[in-house]
Amino acid sequence: MSSGHLVRRRLGDAGAWLVGLIVLIWTLLPLYNMVLVAVQQKEDVFASNVWPPHPTLESFIIVFKEGYWYLEHFWLQMGNSLYIGVAVALLTLFIGALTSFSIGRLRVPMGWLVTNTALLTYVIPMSFLAIPFYRIMKSYGLADNAWSVIAVEVTFATPYAIFIFQQYAGSIPRELDEAARIDGASPPQIFFRIYLPLMAPALVAVGTYALLLAWNEYLYAFLLLSSDQTITVPVTLGKFLNSDEAPWNYLMAASIVFALPPLAIYYIFRRYMSAGLTMGGVKG
Amino acid sequence: MKSLSWRPFVVAACLVGTALLSTPANAAGQTVTVWWNQGFYPAEDQAMKDVIAAWEKQTGNKVDLTFYNGSDLPAKIVSAITTGEVPDLCYVDNGDFLLLGQNAWNDKIVDVSDVVDTQKSQYSQTAVTAARLYDNVTKKRSFFGVPLKQQALHYFVWRPMIEAAGYKVEDIPKTWEAYFDFFEGVQKKLRAKGQRVYGLGYSLATKDSDSTYLFNQFLVAYGGAGLVTPDGKLHADDPKVREAAIRALTKLTTPFKEGFVPPGAINWGDPDNNSAFYAKQIVMTPNATLSIPVAQMEKTDQYMHEIVTQSGPLGPDGKPTTSLVSVKLAFIPKGAKNVDGAKDFLKYLIQPKVIDAYLVAARGRWLPVMPSLAKEDPFWTDPKDPHRAVATHQELDGPTMPWFQAFNPAYADVNAEQVWGKAEANVMTGGMTPEKAVDQALAQIKTDFAKYPVPAE
Amino acid sequence: MAAAPGTPALAAAREAPARRGGRLRAAHGLKGSELSWALAFLLPYAAVFFAFVLYPVGYGLWLGSSPASYRALFADPIYAETVVNTLVYLAVGVNLKLFLALLLSGFFMRPGWWVKALLLIFVLPWAVPAIPTFISFHWMLNGQWGLINNALWTFFRMDGPPWLDTPHLAMGSVIVAYIWKWMPFWTVIFLAGRMSIPRELYEAAEVDGATGLRSFLHVTFPLMANLYTVCTLLSTIWTLGDFNTVHFVSGGGPALQTHVLATLGIRDAFELGDPGMGMAAVISALPLLVPLVIILMRRLSKGEVQL
Repeated sequence: MSSGHLVRRRLGDAGAWLVGLIVLIWTLLPLYNMVLVAVQQKEDVFASNVWPPHPTLESFIIVFKEGYWYLEHFWLQMGNSLYIGVAVALLTLFIGALTSFSIGRLRVPMGWLVTNTALLTYVIPMSFLAIPFYRIMKSYGLADNAWSVIAVEVTFATPYAIFIFQQYAGSIPRELDEAARIDGASPPQIFFRIYLPLMAPALVAVGTYALLLAWNEYLYAFLLLSSDQTITVPVTLGKFLNSDEAPWNYLMAASIVFALPPLAIYYIFRRYMSAGLTMGGVKG
Repeated sequence: MKSLSWRPFVVAACLVGTALLSTPANAAGQTVTVWWNQGFYPAEDQAMKDVIAAWEKQTGNKVDLTFYNGSDLPAKIVSAITTGEVPDLCYVDNGDFLLLGQNAWNDKIVDVSDVVDTQKSQYSQTAVTAARLYDNVTKKRSFFGVPLKQQALHYFVWRPMIEAAGYKVEDIPKTWEAYFDFFEGVQKKLRAKGQRVYGLGYSLATKDSDSTYLFNQFLVAYGGAGLVTPDGKLHADDPKVREAAIRALTKLTTPFKEGFVPPGAINWGDPDNNSAFYAKQIVMTPNATLSIPVAQMEKTDQYMHEIVTQSGPLGPDGKPTTSLVSVKLAFIPKGAKNVDGAKDFLKYLIQPKVIDAYLVAARGRWLPVMPSLAKEDPFWTDPKDPHRAVATHQELDGPTMPWFQAFNPAYADVNAEQVWGKAEANVMTGGMTPEKAVDQALAQIKTDFAKYPVPAE
Repeated sequence: MAAAPGTPALAAAREAPARRGGRLRAAHGLKGSELSWALAFLLPYAAVFFAFVLYPVGYGLWLGSSPASYRALFADPIYAETVVNTLVYLAVGVNLKLFLALLLSGFFMRPGWWVKALLLIFVLPWAVPAIPTFISFHWMLNGQWGLINNALWTFFRMDGPPWLDTPHLAMGSVIVAYIWKWMPFWTVIFLAGRMSIPRELYEAAEVDGATGLRSFLHVTFPLMANLYTVCTLLSTIWTLGDFNTVHFVSGGGPALQTHVLATLGIRDAFELGDPGMGMAAVISALPLLVPLVIILMRRLSKGEVQL
């Protein structure tokens, strides 16, 4: 190896370290701010602090004990968020997989029409359909019901799911389907025994995407859900913003607690993430 | 094999059907659905829950009560009115500012004259005027809201900060110019000591209602009350009004440009001046309720000694300023399923004893609209309380007038569009002269009023 | 194991349409219960679509159909600025984000445990809920007591600029927050795309003397081009409807100068109490949205044939 090559290598490594450092600071700064606010006393939050002067876990204790009036039903609302998130993920996966299987593997006639029509969902961005959804949920009898939010999220996540599945399924050889058919397998059997297992990475990636989409949802949750018992945590957090003297440290502590489940889920399934999010179109 | 087997469809249909099942049975009968604005602290909400419990006990009816966050509730009720899926009774803190006038105009609100009549003699004249809105479909003015409480602009000062600058609260001047100059002086003294503080906590944003309140109060102080007359007519070309607007705009924006107001004030939502005040970044801030001291009621030091409430200086003309009072109205949207139940509850609520108990339990953040309560219940004039008596005196004894949108809903549009906030921004950061900014604002207001032609009555 | 006599022919018939791009001819291959199953499998999504897409979109279009709403919308003094903001937000936000994501995806291909650990941390913005992080941004950027200006004062004795108090800085802050939140998601997608490029291509290029930038230009970029285009289209469509970022970071301020069409629509619908005008705001974006969706549809179907 020539010395020039070595120098370039070292510079490359140093450059990589620098990039890594920048990425680290960039990513963590707003998150650090959240932690900073969460561990301070209420009065210190607006003082000009870079490090917490008297760090305390008091806010987290209050959150865990539901010891503040906005947080009275915090754990119930966490449960609501979880319920909605998981339902959205499972339904999106199921409906998306069925549809892409039908279009891509069973080659249903006019399949391309279905794909394109699904894309029409994105022509009007989600945030604008708030009032129409408010009305139809009432007329479907789903007012103040978690299923109204689930329906909305599934509606917006499924087209994306269908595309990902179709692209990913391209890497599963058709011969497997054929062999199963020759063996006398019916479509549902092919779906459950061959398609789904081989699609596992894509399923995990899309499921996580759908779960995070629902977990993050604010506008529809607050519009479609009303009572303390049905609302989700983002709506609860939003209440803090209205108060004249809200304890911001409790808000941030609650937010950090709220962020833990999706983090955990992502960490558990991280290996599937990259593999599953291939959108195809890359061929040698 | 048959050409189309039924089995797959049954399976699929079952899956779809399961998702659409599950609805709790609609509770029929004598249930009243109530949407109420959430308070700023638990006592406010608890006070309402107590009133409702008492009414339920007395009448055997049930109330389905939900509290909503004050910035979200307008969205909810607007959606509800648009789609026709409304609650029986609704109260929005900023409802009189933002939406009640327009919806009454469009005949979307139930006439509640029969409710108001039960206590009409108790109400102040301002409250009665504020509740009489114009319906453009039936072409008449009537009571579309039930007055519950009111607010006006007060000024809040930190005693410790004044004293740190070497002054006493008694030193605060009582005349207009001197009053505001005083706080600029305090800032200079405190800055000399190394404190990064600001003397004037003006809300100057295009958000929420604090900045709207501040500007309009200044407008009235400078003699601009004739902008909209009680018959609903706009007088944007009145030179006296234009002059008042220019002076008000100048008075508010100049300190910002000179560094006496926090630069962030251009972005302050309603809670933000409170937050800045608690953080002791500002010496004085105007605010339209007693929420600043009341929220610290537990901290007796702050409540009793450190936070000072004032009704403000004499006007630029040397006479007491007329306070712009915002009367808070509960209303019944059209299409409500249980109008009678809602009306019955309102009649119960506005009985003097009941409403007084409610406002007292809410710790006095809002003032009553019935002068007799101030006279009969010592709570409101308690000399030991440094804040309430000031507010009571200002709002029930002093000269008051209702907001312009009571005369014409177009002004609610003006508020919602933040026309004056935009004018302030044009001067502060847009380099416009106050004259040009005012002319632009008045032109916008004229356009807004053109949508609501009120015939002479 | 009984093989139906016509199976190989059936199988062949099914393969032929795939080579021709899959159209109605595929119907010849599907018979009997297979067709029922195919249709039945479509039923769930069809139900979702009819119940939750057609009805709301139809109602929304009806709400925004009154010409008076458009007159009011265009007469609103902040509409023009809002359109400009939206275009800037899209042009700068989407493209900068995707470009950086592409570069970072190359970075994360490097070997080493610390790179993998960094990737895990890097994905945090996507995994952590949006509302609190945007609120955190809002506070961080506060001119008087936010973390950034505090840090500038503490370390450099500098008075930091008023990040959210002037329109250009505020818009820039919103774009930065947006990139912070979504860049990880797209980086992972590009990373997945890169990982499916066969190593032999890179090795062949190295033999020919191409490394570093040349390798990127001649091997990576051409192969990622389709993916990159699809991502750009999809991201633009999604960002057009992005409400949370502007709402929680700048609130549309100062002085209503950082609104985008999504937040303007909500403000018109709920703060001004005029849902018709709110819908008109989004429908006024359709001339931009619809072509994007059509191009996306074309791109995606091309991609399918390639596979």
